[in-house]
Amino acid sequence: MMDLNKIYEKVSRVSDQAAVKKVTSRTTQVRFSNNAIDITNTWNEELVTVFLAQGKKTFSFDLRDERALEDTLNRAVSALKGIEENNDFVSLNDRKNSYRTKGNRDEKLRLLNPQEFVNSFIDQVKPFFKRVGGVFYSRSISEEIATPFNSGSQGQFGIEFVARAFNDKDYPVQTSFMSSSDEDFPLLERQGEEIIDLSRNVRNIREGEEGKFNVIFTPLCFASIVSYTIPMASAFQVDSGMSMFAGRLGDRIGSSIFTMYDDPLEDSMINAKLFDDEGTPAQRTPVIEKGVVKNYLHNFSTAAKFKTETTGNAGIIAPTPWQISVEPGNESIEDMVSSTKKGVMIVNTWYTRFQDYREGVFSTIPRDGIFYIENGEIKETWRSIRISDSLLNIFRNTEGITKETKKVKWWDETLPTKSPYVQVADVNISRSR
Amino acid sequence: MEEFVDRAIEYASKMGSYVETSYLSSERNTILMKNGSVSATGYSKDSGLAFRVVNSSISFASSNISDWGVIRGEIDYAVRRSKIPGRNTLSEEKSYRDSWEVAERRRIKDVPLEEKLSILKDIESLLVKEGIQMRILAINDNIEEGLIESSGGMSIRHRLPKVSFFAMLGFMEGGNFEQGTIELGYSGGYEAIDFWDLNNRVQQEAKALKKAAAAKKIPPGTYDLVAGPEISGIVAHESAGHPSEADRILGREMAQAGESFIKKEDRGMRVGSDIVNLVDDPTIEHSFGFYKYDRDGVPARKRYLYKKGLVNEFLHNRESAGRMGEKSNGASRSSEWDKEPLVRMSTTYIEPGEYTLEEMMEDVKNGIYMRSFTEWNIDDIRFNEKYVGREAYLIRNGEVFEQIKRPVIETTTVKFYSSIDAVGKDLQFSAGTCGKGDPMQGVDVWMGGPHIRLRDVYVR
Repeated sequence: MMDLNKIYEKVSRVSDQAAVKKVTSRTTQVRFSNNAIDITNTWNEELVTVFLAQGKKTFSFDLRDERALEDTLNRAVSALKGIEENNDFVSLNDRKNSYRTKGNRDEKLRLLNPQEFVNSFIDQVKPFFKRVGGVFYSRSISEEIATPFNSGSQGQFGIEFVARAFNDKDYPVQTSFMSSSDEDFPLLERQGEEIIDLSRNVRNIREGEEGKFNVIFTPLCFASIVSYTIPMASAFQVDSGMSMFAGRLGDRIGSSIFTMYDDPLEDSMINAKLFDDEGTPAQRTPVIEKGVVKNYLHNFSTAAKFKTETTGNAGIIAPTPWQISVEPGNESIEDMVSSTKKGVMIVNTWYTRFQDYREGVFSTIPRDGIFYIENGEIKETWRSIRISDSLLNIFRNTEGITKETKKVKWWDETLPTKSPYVQVADVNISRSR
Repeated sequence: MEEFVDRAIEYASKMGSYVETSYLSSERNTILMKNGSVSATGYSKDSGLAFRVVNSSISFASSNISDWGVIRGEIDYAVRRSKIPGRNTLSEEKSYRDSWEVAERRRIKDVPLEEKLSILKDIESLLVKEGIQMRILAINDNIEEGLIESSGGMSIRHRLPKVSFFAMLGFMEGGNFEQGTIELGYSGGYEAIDFWDLNNRVQQEAKALKKAAAAKKIPPGTYDLVAGPEISGIVAHESAGHPSEADRILGREMAQAGESFIKKEDRGMRVGSDIVNLVDDPTIEHSFGFYKYDRDGVPARKRYLYKKGLVNEFLHNRESAGRMGEKSNGASRSSEWDKEPLVRMSTTYIEPGEYTLEEMMEDVKNGIYMRSFTEWNIDDIRFNEKYVGREAYLIRNGEVFEQIKRPVIETTTVKFYSSIDAVGKDLQFSAGTCGKGDPMQGVDVWMGGPHIRLRDVYVR
């Protein structure tokens, strides 16, 4: 086992400032497809990441084996002689900080047996579908950091579960669950019912249509949209110029009902934090508040460059979002659907790519439930469509947000996110010709 | 931790019908520049042990903790998990004992940091001179070394050095913005810089980006399309490589990257015109996805995915081949030491044909020449796809005219390949990181092809 304090002591001898972080993780994953488990993966890992600075020259390295420290430090010292100053680096956070304690309970979640859970889920949903697949993660992470000014430790246990099921016409629907809190245990147990309920909406399957549509994004789908949005609020990205947030701080870019936070204080989500990589206390940061760009995400150095305060999002090189909350509204999903004259509800999306980061022009491919609504009722189920629009249009045209939220995380497409259903007018839908 | 490989295989070999132990290390250097400033200089040596145990099901475990007690505990845990029912078929393959490496003409370890930095600074100056305002540049090298052994007697050792370059550029003029990326990769040493002709390549991209910012959209309609090697490459990768991955065809990625429009019984199905041949080949020297043996210890070889427009061969690892009752064709890869092996591409390309670019152009009355792409995506069965042109021009009566702004093709795999009526004799590759698996595994690939001509494509 690597010893953080010993490593910090050696690193600090050759640097003016150093930040050392040790992450210890134990993860079990069960992957299943077509009603059977494919593989059980387990990871038992330690990783130490080291950032060191001599004046404004900086170097970082990862360590998997403490025995390699001497060699790696020699390499770092020699590299520091040869490189230029990093003009983006000012300092690590030099204030002495104290940290909150987390408030979630997770004993029940920890007791779950992943393979048993997956097999019982398969048995539950099998009668309703031709085939089902998915993934279950159970992950325990502990983190320690040391800097010249701060030290601390934090840990988090979390469950992620995703299932995608195909009906007898081979049309897929998907459900997603993520939590670090026993309070959400009943929701995990409900995932089977949820995916069965969702599949009951599948009727009259056909190729979708092009045009402008009123779209209801489910929590999973909207999580994907905001997961591609919030990294662009990183001050690193803004500073590079490749961000739709660049030059828009304080500008109204969205509807007044739309608010989105980077929210590491939500302890029931799997990436809750007490502090960031340089020892700044984590905080809830509104990125878009009532439609207005309120904050970029900062570490201590980017905050100095932008003449503001750090938001506790180090990444010492590049600030990074932790997890997302979209502020709930007042509507119910039932009312939202029943008041839709002509629109589409989209359960999930993937393969989001941008042709213009400055204006947020992108396309993404809806999947796992595209329900065409007419006069308040789901009439058809579509496939083979694409959303080809801009994030600015999506946020500007946001017209409805539900009270009901869901915590989701799916693969690499979404960050851990708590999102409501979100209704957006005039979304451009395209398709192959 | 390599010292534990023999001990682990000896300990575990009697506990499973098949047991495999692998040690893999990746020693990486990275330099990142943002708008002229060196934002990050880094080094990592990522290494550890992984175990695969097959009994009633397959279990994969990994650890980088150098302690025999921990390692033994992980093996025991993996063995217990493998006794719970699930899928457990691997194809029968010959066990090889061999070692291989890729030679470096300019060894990575001999290139000082200052020289790598000066490569980026030269590019930076060139881009500043061209007036490109937004510049993120990175140069990376990686020396991967590994040893894999199995209870069946397989023992493969390898050393694979790689160099890669990445640039993300943004140009703004008069409120018009254009962005572009350049990705280059090479298996070998720092001779890569000359191999890529790096400065010229970046300069050409910068000039095209500036012209694109001033370019105008064209009216939507039906055009003939001459697509350059970068387009051939992305199409080959997305709509021939991915749908030919047997694990997708079997549904193993159903909850993540999805499945395939190709079904198990579809070999021989027509997907394109009869001049279309699609290849995946891990044995191309210095290619970014090069290997001699795959992650399962199966020898690498060239595979024809589509032959004369027909579905021909799937990409297999031992797991997918076992499930289909076939032999593996050596497509097993994992991105890091702690990731399970999956079916992956290596270098995927459209095989060159007979035409010169001039011959292709001269027969086009009203067309578009698309040299490179920006936004793209494809659905999860690899059938409906979109490519947005980054550097693209109008063709009139065989002549290339003005640059046009972001022409968009939204089409299907079969429509695209069926519209090809001429295949060029040139062949170029670009590099990429192919994402798949859960957790996500990004593996190095090349993709490419010649210029190709398509008739009657709807463009907006």
